[in-house]
Amino acid sequence: MSGLRSFVTRRLLLGAGQTAAVVLLVFALTDALPGDAAVALAGDQPDPARITAIRETLHLDRPAHERLADWAAGLLHGDFGTSLTSGRPVGQYLADGFGPTLLLAALTLALLVPTGLGLGVLAARHEGRLADRLISSVTLAVYAVPEFALGVLLVTVFALKLAWLPPTAVGYGTDLLAQPAALVLPVVVLLSRPVCSLTRLVRASMIDALASPYAAHARRYGVPGTRVRYLHALPNALAPAVQQLARTVDWLLCGVIVVEALFVIPGLGTVLLNAVAERDTPVVQGLAVVFGVLTVVLNLGADLLAHRLTPRAEVAA
Amino acid sequence: MTPPTSAAVVRRRDAGRYALGLTVVAVPLLLAVLGPLIAGGPSPRTASFTLGDGHWAGTDFVGRDVWQQVLHGGRPVVVTALAATALAYLVALPVGLAGALTHRRWLEETLMRPLDVLLAVPSLLLILLVASAFTPGPVGLALLVALVNVPDAARIVRATAGQAAARPAVEALRLQGETWWRTAVGHVGRSMVRTLAADAGTRLTGVLYLVATAAFLGVGVAPDAADWAVMVDRNRTGLFVQPWAVVLPALLIVALTMGSNLLFDAALHKPGGGRGKREERP
Repeated sequence: MSGLRSFVTRRLLLGAGQTAAVVLLVFALTDALPGDAAVALAGDQPDPARITAIRETLHLDRPAHERLADWAAGLLHGDFGTSLTSGRPVGQYLADGFGPTLLLAALTLALLVPTGLGLGVLAARHEGRLADRLISSVTLAVYAVPEFALGVLLVTVFALKLAWLPPTAVGYGTDLLAQPAALVLPVVVLLSRPVCSLTRLVRASMIDALASPYAAHARRYGVPGTRVRYLHALPNALAPAVQQLARTVDWLLCGVIVVEALFVIPGLGTVLLNAVAERDTPVVQGLAVVFGVLTVVLNLGADLLAHRLTPRAEVAA
Repeated sequence: MTPPTSAAVVRRRDAGRYALGLTVVAVPLLLAVLGPLIAGGPSPRTASFTLGDGHWAGTDFVGRDVWQQVLHGGRPVVVTALAATALAYLVALPVGLAGALTHRRWLEETLMRPLDVLLAVPSLLLILLVASAFTPGPVGLALLVALVNVPDAARIVRATAGQAAARPAVEALRLQGETWWRTAVGHVGRSMVRTLAADAGTRLTGVLYLVATAAFLGVGVAPDAADWAVMVDRNRTGLFVQPWAVVLPALLIVALTMGSNLLFDAALHKPGGGRGKREERP
């Protein structure tokens, strides 16, 4: 058991290190502006009042390490600071954008797992035959395509030519669940890349698992094919898939930002893009920390879960 | 179990996939390389989002000829992606090689551990973070995308080099007193080429994705740049009036990314069961 415990400890330590690094990196990248940060942040038309406001909000007269310590201490208490442009607390921005983004992510994940597993197992069952070749080629082709290009083409076909679905979520407000039609295209676009990667991974590990000695042995004992497939091979094929699922969080995050911009959905991605455009540093910092820590925690969870599924396999840590 | 497929069938299938990838990628690639040469000088601006009137693909959001913009717009995407991939390896190769070949554990740890930490930050987030503080141009975007790709590339270099360095042949070279340079570059480097070529292929596809997406979000490009991704973004407002200004560049980006992925997969597909067990990453 000491092996397991040491793995968990090492992985938890790495996670803690990554969390600290995310906080440091976000601060370093956004706060370490060359020259006078307040003037740089004020943009093309520096307004003296705005520059003073920025100086006061960011406490630019104090040394960087003190500002970092204050900011990090605030983060621990859930205090993300206040926006430069509106003066509203950053936490409020997060709360406003949280609903639509969570809805998109939850819907996508809920559809991603069964679709990816189903297609992967289906392709592995028919390895080398038409169904497999079709699934393999389509997933390979689609998985490299940027969401915005795919999305804009889908909008042209399904909203413009066929008029089946609304082109954007404009006018629906934040209550998107009441407008399922407006959610179809965003979720499909968001699903496109993760589904492909998950399908390919499940297919590959399922084929390996089905060709393994224990599967052959089970078959020799007369265990039915379905039982071998779902009770013996699938659990072993799942460990890499669980890890891939966490890696797709990175993709989902990129996807959410693009999809929200494309379909004008007022979620966290839109808040982030607006803050970036307005150089609203505290909002950017707050969102980046939330996104970054979320990624670290999900990857950590996935590695621990994968380790639990196949304790003998070496998982990256 | 699966029916055994003969080598000839597999080879024919591989050739088919190769041809498919090549066909799909040819159009956008040729346009990107040759487009600027045949586009000619800028033509006078007319009303925005019109169709016909001497512009067979219509005009864009500021009244420029869409076809001419399309001819100019491929090169930035392709060149930035190629530069970023090359830059990523320029850093990742020495770091990964040093990490694998050094006998000092602390050096390996100090080289590789910070990269593990960087891997945790989502790539687009990092790019947007930098964009919020600075206003990167095309060079800045290439540097950023390269930086985002360094950790993963260095890990793969290190893993591949570590495998190659553990071979008996390397031990023999060391015992013969060959120089570090000859062992590292002459032997280990050479035996890594195949794996690294495969990685570079998948990485280039990922980089293309990231470069196009960043440009779509307005990072590293001028707001009216002749760039396929920028065209999709800026002409979206006129989608219902003049869809060609959006559909044409979007189709080209889809063909470019799809085709390059198909092509690299076919080119690097090992005949006789080269099942990609490598983790797929963006």
